[in-house]
Amino acid sequence: AFENRLAFRAQVRPLHGSGCGQQQEAVGMETRPETFSIFRTQENNPACQSEQHLGQYYTVPPSHFHTVFPHGLPPRYQQQVKTFNEGCVMVRQPALELISHLKRADYSKPTLRYLLYGVKGSGKTMSLCHAVHYFSKQGWLVLHIPDAHLWVKNCKELLPSSYHASRFDQPIQASNWLRNFRTTNEHFLSKIKLRQRYVWTKRESTEEGRPLGELVDMGVSHVKSSSDVVGAVLKELRLQAWGTEGGFRMAVAVGVNGLWGRTTLKKEEKSPVAPEELTLVHNLRKMINNDWCGGAVIATLSQTGSLYAPSSAYLPQELLGEEGFDSMDPFVPVPVSLYSEKEFESCYLYYLDRHWLQHPHSQTEEGKKELIFLSNRNPSVLERLCAFL
Amino acid sequence: MIRVLLVRWSRYNPYYLEPEPRKEVYHIPETELTPEQKEERELKSVRPIKAATNSVTSSVFNDPVLSKFVNMMMKDGDKIIAKGIITQTLENMKRKQVEKYHKAPEVKKAEIECNPYVIFHQALENCKPVIGLASIQKGGKFYQVPIPLTDNRRRFLAMKWMITECRDNKHRRTLMYEKLSQELLAAFSKEGNVVKRKHELHKMAESNRAYAHYRWW
Repeated sequence: AFENRLAFRAQVRPLHGSGCGQQQEAVGMETRPETFSIFRTQENNPACQSEQHLGQYYTVPPSHFHTVFPHGLPPRYQQQVKTFNEGCVMVRQPALELISHLKRADYSKPTLRYLLYGVKGSGKTMSLCHAVHYFSKQGWLVLHIPDAHLWVKNCKELLPSSYHASRFDQPIQASNWLRNFRTTNEHFLSKIKLRQRYVWTKRESTEEGRPLGELVDMGVSHVKSSSDVVGAVLKELRLQAWGTEGGFRMAVAVGVNGLWGRTTLKKEEKSPVAPEELTLVHNLRKMINNDWCGGAVIATLSQTGSLYAPSSAYLPQELLGEEGFDSMDPFVPVPVSLYSEKEFESCYLYYLDRHWLQHPHSQTEEGKKELIFLSNRNPSVLERLCAFL
Repeated sequence: MIRVLLVRWSRYNPYYLEPEPRKEVYHIPETELTPEQKEERELKSVRPIKAATNSVTSSVFNDPVLSKFVNMMMKDGDKIIAKGIITQTLENMKRKQVEKYHKAPEVKKAEIECNPYVIFHQALENCKPVIGLASIQKGGKFYQVPIPLTDNRRRFLAMKWMITECRDNKHRRTLMYEKLSQELLAAFSKEGNVVKRKHELHKMAESNRAYAHYRWW
C-alpha cells in the first residue's frame, strides 16, 4: 500500500562516495535547494513516508511543534531545536515499522501493545515522538506520558488519596501532566462528553454530559484533586474509545518500566511506597491492560531514569521485571538499533549543514572516521561528541 | 581492579627516547624521508622509548593549548571534571553563536564566528599582555620595573587571569562553564574584565617607564 503513496517529488540520489563532496559545496552555495540535499526530505507527513525516505530528515512545522510536543522530547533534543531554529526528525526503520503496523491494525479488537527497546541512546524516545506526530496528523487523541519515572521519584508532596484510603496522590505531577494534555488535545476536549457523575467535594461535582475540557480545567485549577481527575479522564477515554464519532484513542507511554519495580518515595514512617499505592501509577496500569479497544499502546523502556537497574540492562525482561513483563505480555517488540552507515552519513551531513560541526578537522575524512570510532554510531553519544567539536 | 604502575613520572634513563604521537609522521613513505629522518627512524628501532602520558593523543582533535588550559583549571588531579567543564564551555559558546547565526539576516551571517576553538584562541590572544612588571631591589627599595615576557609566560598569565576571574567574580548560582563562556565571548570582542586587567598592567608599565634601565638583562 505504500507504493501508492510514493513522494511525487523525485529525489536526486547520487552515490555516497562522489556525491558527498559535491553536496557539501552545493548546500553551501545555494540557500535551500531541497531536491539536492541527500539528507532532507520534503515529505513532512509521517503517514506518507516509506522506505524510500529512510535515513532522511523531515521538518516538523514550527506552528505544530508546541502543540504536538509540549513535553516528551529528550532535553538535549529540545536544546538542539532551539539552537538550530527548526525541529528535524530522522525517518528510521523502527518508527516506520511501528507506523505500518498501526495503519494495518484492526481497531475493533482489544488494543495491541508495542514495546520499543534498545541500547541506551539508540533513539527510542525519538521514534516514539515520530509516532506521536503521526497520530496527531491523523487526528487521534494522544495520551503522551513522557516518563513514568518522574512519577515514582523525587516527589516533594505526597498526599493521602481522598478516593481510596491506602493510596497516595501526587498533585504537582498530575496537574503538570493535565496541562500538557490540554495543550495537545484542544479540539477533543469539547467533543467528548462524560458518562458518569463525579463528586469531588461536598460542594463540587461534575455532572454527566459535561465536556471533558471542563474536567481537565478543574483538575488544573484544583491541584489537590488532580490525581483523581487524571484517573477519571483515563477511565472516560477507555470507555468511549470505540465507536463514538470515529474518535480513536491511543495511549503512549515512555519509561514504562517505572510502573513496576520499586520507588524511591517514602511514607512518613520511612517505610517505602510500592508503585501500586500511587494513584497515577494505578490508573496508568489499568490503561495499559488490553481490556479496551479502539486504540494502541506504544511503550518504551528507558534505562536512564530507571531505579535500581544496572546501566547495561536494556532488554525488556531485565528492565520490566517479572511483574511488568507478565502484565505487558503479549506485546509486539520493536527493536531500535544504532545508526546504520547511511543514517550516520545523513546525521553527519545534517550537522554540517546546520553549521554545528565547527572544528576544521571534523569536516575531513579522518575526523569522520574518528567520530565513527569514538561514538560507535550511537546517536546520543555522537550528538554529545559533535556538541563540543 | 587492574592496578596501573605509573611509569611516566619516574626518572627515566637518558638513554630512553621520547614517543611520537602524531600519525602523519608514520604515513610518510620510505622514499620521501630526508637523511636526518632516516637516521632518526633507525635510532628509534634500536633504542627503548618512554611511555606516553595520558594527556597526549594521536587524535586529530588534540589541541596542546586547550590541554594546558584544562591542566590549569584542574583541582586535586581531577582531570575528568576539568575536561567536562571545558567541553561544556565550548558547547555553550557554539550554541550561543549558532543560534545568533541562524537568526541573523543574510548580510550579518559572514561576520558571526561560530567555531568555539577559534573564539577560544582569539580570546586568549586578546588577553595576553605584551609587557610585564618585575619587582627589582635597588638601594634598599623595591621598584616595579617593566620587563619583556616570554611567550610561555604570556600564555600562562592570560590563562591564569581568565580562570581566577571566572572563579572569583561570579554569582553564587552561575555555573563555571556559563561564566567562562561569557568571559571568552567578551574577550573575543575585546571587552570584559580580563582584557581590562591586561590594559591596567600595560598602563602600570607605561607609568613606570623611568625605571626601565634598572633591568640588567
